Amino acid sequence: MSAVIERVAPLRWTAALLAALGLRGRTLVIAVPMLWLLIFFLVPFLVVAKLSVSEPAIAMPPYLPLVERDGARMTISLSFENFGYLFDDPLYIKAYFFSIRLAFFSAVLTLLIGYPIAYYIARSSEARRSVLLMLVILPFWTSFLLRVYAWQGFLRSNGVINNFLLWTGIIDQPLVMLQTNFAVYLGIVYTYLPFMILPLYANLVKLDEALLEASADLGGRPLPTFFHVTLPLSMPGIIAGFMLVFVPAIGEFVIPELLGGPDTLMIGRVLWNEFFSNRDWPTASAVAIAMLIALVIPIMILRTAQQRVEEE
Amino acid sequence: MIRSLSLAGLLAAAAALPALAQDKVVHIYNWSDYIAEDTIRKFEAETGIKVVYDVYDSNETLEAKLLAGHSGYDVVVPTSNFLQRQIAAGVYQPLDKSKLPNLENMDPELMKAAAAYDPDNTYGVIYMWGTNGIGYNVAKVAERLGEDAPTDSWSLIFDPKYAEKLADCGITLLDSASEVFPSALTYLGLDPLSKKPEDLEKAAGVIEAIRPYIRYYHSSQYISDLANGEVCVSLGYSGDVFQAAARAEEAGKGVEIAYSVPEEGAQQWFDMMAIPVDAPNPEAALAWINFIMKPEITADITNYVWYANANTASLPLVDPEIRDDPAIFPGPDVLAKLYPAQVYDARTDRLITKLWTRAKTGQ
Amino acid sequence: MNTPVPVATSKPWITGAEPPFIRISKVTKRFGDFYAVDDVSLDIYKGELFCLLGGSGCGKSTLLRMLAGFETPTEGRIEIDGQDMAGKAPYERPTNMMFQSYALFPHMTVEKNVAYGLYRDGMKKAEAMEKVAEMLRLVQLTPFASRKPHQLSGGQRQRVALARSLVKRPKLLLLDEPLGALDKKLREETQFELIKIQESLGVTFIVVTHDQEEAMTLASRIGVMNAGQIVQVGEPPEIYEHPNSRFVADFIGSVNMFEGRVTEDEPDYIRLGVADLGGSIYVGHGVSCVLDQQLWYAVRPEKIRISRTRPDKTENVFRAVVDEIAYMGNISIHRLKLPTGRLLSATKANLTRHDDEAITWGDEVWVTWDDTAGAVLTR
Ligand SMILES: Nc1ncnc2c1ncn2[C@@H]1O[C@H](COP(=O)(O)OP(=O)(O)OP(=O)(O)O)[C@@H](O)[C@H]1O
Ligand SMILES: [Mg+2]
Repeated sequence: MSAVIERVAPLRWTAALLAALGLRGRTLVIAVPMLWLLIFFLVPFLVVAKLSVSEPAIAMPPYLPLVERDGARMTISLSFENFGYLFDDPLYIKAYFFSIRLAFFSAVLTLLIGYPIAYYIARSSEARRSVLLMLVILPFWTSFLLRVYAWQGFLRSNGVINNFLLWTGIIDQPLVMLQTNFAVYLGIVYTYLPFMILPLYANLVKLDEALLEASADLGGRPLPTFFHVTLPLSMPGIIAGFMLVFVPAIGEFVIPELLGGPDTLMIGRVLWNEFFSNRDWPTASAVAIAMLIALVIPIMILRTAQQRVEEE
Repeated sequence: MIRSLSLAGLLAAAAALPALAQDKVVHIYNWSDYIAEDTIRKFEAETGIKVVYDVYDSNETLEAKLLAGHSGYDVVVPTSNFLQRQIAAGVYQPLDKSKLPNLENMDPELMKAAAAYDPDNTYGVIYMWGTNGIGYNVAKVAERLGEDAPTDSWSLIFDPKYAEKLADCGITLLDSASEVFPSALTYLGLDPLSKKPEDLEKAAGVIEAIRPYIRYYHSSQYISDLANGEVCVSLGYSGDVFQAAARAEEAGKGVEIAYSVPEEGAQQWFDMMAIPVDAPNPEAALAWINFIMKPEITADITNYVWYANANTASLPLVDPEIRDDPAIFPGPDVLAKLYPAQVYDARTDRLITKLWTRAKTGQ
Repeated sequence: MNTPVPVATSKPWITGAEPPFIRISKVTKRFGDFYAVDDVSLDIYKGELFCLLGGSGCGKSTLLRMLAGFETPTEGRIEIDGQDMAGKAPYERPTNMMFQSYALFPHMTVEKNVAYGLYRDGMKKAEAMEKVAEMLRLVQLTPFASRKPHQLSGGQRQRVALARSLVKRPKLLLLDEPLGALDKKLREETQFELIKIQESLGVTFIVVTHDQEEAMTLASRIGVMNAGQIVQVGEPPEIYEHPNSRFVADFIGSVNMFEGRVTEDEPDYIRLGVADLGGSIYVGHGVSCVLDQQLWYAVRPEKIRISRTRPDKTENVFRAVVDEIAYMGNISIHRLKLPTGRLLSATKANLTRHDDEAITWGDEVWVTWDDTAGAVLTR
């Protein structure tokens, strides 16, 4: 008994020390992720927010400091003009909606492709399941950039696909696939598919087989069973997967840049333009902040949908 | 060797490391495919300074790094108009010309032209120079437009009548408003250096009109795409087109690429070696710049990258094939038609970017 | 509703007056090389409430699942209402099943759960709702119609599952441990209700259970399963009083089992020498056996009488000492120790509330049973 107490003692000492500092175990557990968020999300966000209200200048760095000291006088100048631009020029709004639309349809496509795959994996034997999951995650082992470049090789007019189609005689002129929105959809769906499959799989694998049997027993053929039982019960997985694809796809830059054509007007590219071509860091930051705020809306919609589904 | 070091020795070595590194390493940031294969090796052998060599493919990328500060580079190679703006932003340090004895090799006329961007050549030395013109696939253009295709005119690209016929084999533009707008203005017969909004709007109109026929806007991708026949007409940098031509020839698949300086006029630009204010090792940077100005070194580079240099002393060492090619080293008649790269003020800059994005996206 | 009238009064399994409704012939189900159901043949008649009884893992659920169509027999043939079920999907069979786990749809209300099967048959909403309401009334769940399964108690859920499987009026209802999760009182109530429903709807029930008391209460007939095989089929009293094997005798109720050898074999009686008893058992009817054959004798505790005085007979009388008494309310179970050391259990009805003369711990008593009280078992 006393041995136990002795062994526990150091633990209690630490606990007491932390309590003296106003920290309890639970606070501490929360503190780690909080700190993480603080350092890797809030701080960069504040830096960008600060930039977005600065005034651009030909300088190094290319904006004026917010705070200026002139002897005892200190002036803080915030410029909201950068946000004004975003509404002056329909380009930004158009880019925003274009990005949302593209991300939305990409997510829908990813869902349509990912669902059967996730379903198949979830219904496979345990041994095969882990192999299949491995295959889903496998692409992550090579560089994302490399894989997108590989698609260029597939899609270009003298690339693998065109050469094959020309060879078979299905077409006699190479199809223009690279630098089109089609290629962007393809790239996004391809890249984000695992993010759709994994949450769907996690959900579907929990689905009680007895419910499917019950449905069949009550006269439900496979298709009605799917729509009335499987689909509604996998809603949390669908929403989670949708969010994991839709949200990052909105801000996607690399895929539209490498696979997209000139008219793939994604907000990520607009941001890139502001930053690099215009070297207007403040406006670029304003675009980023506005995008973040605008993103909150679809995310909130999805979140509430998810909560509603989960409550049921 | 390191294994046998004692702890004390290790500490001493660590303490000595920064000084050592400063003496012995130079960080160069240059355009991709823009140096001879053995230049770095030769420099290291001669000076004992180790070279860390990185590349970029657009002035914008370079500029973003420089403006952020502490890029860590000792020598960078911006194009003249970018150099001018970056000088204004306080990015560079003046060159200590006493450390650059090889400056005497440089062509005074070209250095004077470069001084338009950099008064008295205080901050930069010409690395290479060239023009923006048209690179094209001889066979494919002839196939689509016949023998009398206007390959020596901007209308090959900017006249929708031709562009439409070339669309399926691929037209590309540089992804840089400051390169494309002057060309479009030239095509319209307007002043290529015009900052008048109405002129720029007209140029944007021209660019937008051919948008449906443009495969993409990119500043380096076209080199390999021209070479392997993926695209057939590019508004590009002279040397890059020559590289594409050389690669096409090497590949031996019968692709022939040619370069033309359009008769309406074309932009002349200088890529300038300069030293950032916060360069970790300016002494080594000067050594590098001086080394590049050696006639045999510059000649090597020109022979390799097919860009004109501004080094008079190197010309006897340049391959006659290159030296005598008027597209690379233009004769006086062509030189007369070249105009400098424009530097826009912030307002015009913003207007151009806006027009450019709109013209590119059709929005 | 008037008093329930048993549908199966005619006992077609005895009379053979009508063909069986369900015919299971030589059905085997193998998982790998494991026989979950092993060569089972069984006929079940219309309107029966047939109980499948057996220990855990003996293959009850598997047999039921083959009837519902979730498993295909490895060998053999299943006929329902004259139709061969081979190749028929669950949704094509005239059966409904109430699952061991209930398998209620968690995202649907009680009402929707019950209506599910009706909608799948394309029934219009109004008509379906009417049937659902009627069904919910029957299982007394009307006030819970719009709740979700997780908002119900275990017993309520079970009744939803029952309502859901009944609402389509299947020809055959399969119930897999329908009352497993209920407390004793609720269980008894529901058992009674099940019988009522079964008899009023005229549906054929097959109920799986491993609770023998439940089987006794519910069944028209019981099929006892062991290790994938049906070991005995019969009406509850037959199973109880005339078990055909040590397994059945042991599995149903409690029993005192003796091993003995035939010492006398006459047409109207036999005598068994039992070492455990230090004597012999007299069996008052003929048994087909040979002299010196090893046999077992099973006698249930309630058949054994205990007294202070020596009973007035010569056969099947033994001395014993009361080792322990367990008071159960209605009865008391006495554990008795024979001179050989063998223990014996006997029950005694508590006929009065208080008995000064009652037999108690340590008392020397006589035990005896009638010469027809026990069953002679050959296996
Ligand atoms: N899909 C299967 N694969 C392999 N073995 C199985 C499978 N299903 C059942 N079994 C085995 O078959 C045997 C019978 O199972 P079954 O579910 O029919 O038992 P049960 O009589 O219903 O038991 P319980 O009373 O515990 O529900 C068990 O030993 C079980 O392990
Ligand atoms: Mg079972």
